[in-house]
Amino acid sequence: MWRKEESKTQAVPEISTKAVNSTITPPAPAAPLHEKPTPPFAARTEARISQGIKIRGEITGSDDLFVDGEVEGKLALDSASVTIGPNGRVKADVVAREVIVRGCVEGKVNAHERVQVWGTGQVHGEIQTLTLVIEEGAVLRGKVEAGKPAEKGGNAFAAAPAVAEETSSSANVPAIPAVN
Amino acid sequence: MSFLHKLGLVGVRTFSRTAPANRHPLHGNGVHGAGPGITPVNSPRSAERQEITRTSRGLKEFLWNLDGLGRGALLDLGPVWQTTLSFFIERGFRVTAEDLFCAWKDFCREEEKHLQMASGGALDTTEDRTPEGRAARFLEGNLCYPAASFDAVLMWDLLDYLEPSLARRIVSVVSGAVRPGGVVFAMFHSRKPECFHRYRVADSMTLQMLPAAEIVPVQHVYQNREIQDLFGQYRSMKSLVSRDQLREVLFIK
Repeated sequence: MWRKEESKTQAVPEISTKAVNSTITPPAPAAPLHEKPTPPFAARTEARISQGIKIRGEITGSDDLFVDGEVEGKLALDSASVTIGPNGRVKADVVAREVIVRGCVEGKVNAHERVQVWGTGQVHGEIQTLTLVIEEGAVLRGKVEAGKPAEKGGNAFAAAPAVAEETSSSANVPAIPAVN
Repeated sequence: MSFLHKLGLVGVRTFSRTAPANRHPLHGNGVHGAGPGITPVNSPRSAERQEITRTSRGLKEFLWNLDGLGRGALLDLGPVWQTTLSFFIERGFRVTAEDLFCAWKDFCREEEKHLQMASGGALDTTEDRTPEGRAARFLEGNLCYPAASFDAVLMWDLLDYLEPSLARRIVSVVSGAVRPGGVVFAMFHSRKPECFHRYRVADSMTLQMLPAAEIVPVQHVYQNREIQDLFGQYRSMKSLVSRDQLREVLFIK
């Protein structure tokens, strides 16, 4: 009796996971043997610099990094995500795939994909990224560059419409909601 | 009197957070009090601040000039706003934002420190302390962009708040950074504004004006002729005056 109940409760999540997988994701094609499958985001390992730890120098690597301590120097994690925790103090240039700022950063932030600055975040320095997300209350002091690089060399206004009325269609574009 | 006092950066009037929208002098002139309070970036959270929406024909014309551009580059000389960034990024622009108000205030603070040290004999006093010298020093570290690197510039009402000598230099530097055919959107107050605002784009013909603590006091109210002289090297100028005495001007290089 007792053993039967225990086995039932253990089995539930296993079954539901299978069901979710079968309905949402199509069966993945078999990966070639020479290709190393990329782990899902949740499975990525994350290095951690906890509160109270101070590091001076250059940090490089390919794993995600969470900084809740103090770092001075350089953070170069090209393919990884760097999170500056609420207690984190970074006085360094940061290069990463994604940078999430909840603490304080002093230096250049260069993220290939995205920079998120939370309401508690402060960036004193330049930000260069594709997508920038800023929450209310965030402090940004310095130059910000966001978006895809502009096309160079072309006549920028060659394709401008000749009739003013045509632009009124752009007024139908819905307003982008403010970040709360 | 300190250097900051001379520039009016000390003891400036700050915006009363509790001022209701209907007491605003611009209310009822194409300007509407709106929605819940929104706190700008670089300021503490406050639910009491209220933004005012403003139908902007200048913005509409500005966007019309950029229509069909494809991937362009925009320089925003105001603070970084998520709405403005998203608006232009979603339309394929690369946005560069540089808050010149804050940069100028920081610069003036540094100048004040230098002056204090110089008066103590710790520093060389031969540095040019005239407005022209200050403007030159300020631009050594700000607005450093390659020539013809932007298709559009949002200048907002920046020039009203800067020393005329600095305003002239900034227009010159910005002109160098704008490509031929590029557009500059600027605003000028026809009379001294009663409240300091920061601006952001809500949609293609609406601006949100956010009352903020005054960073720099108004330095000069430009007349039409002065504006034309300031932007003399531009191919065309279109001025749109609204009933709230805020003049929106488009310059095409």
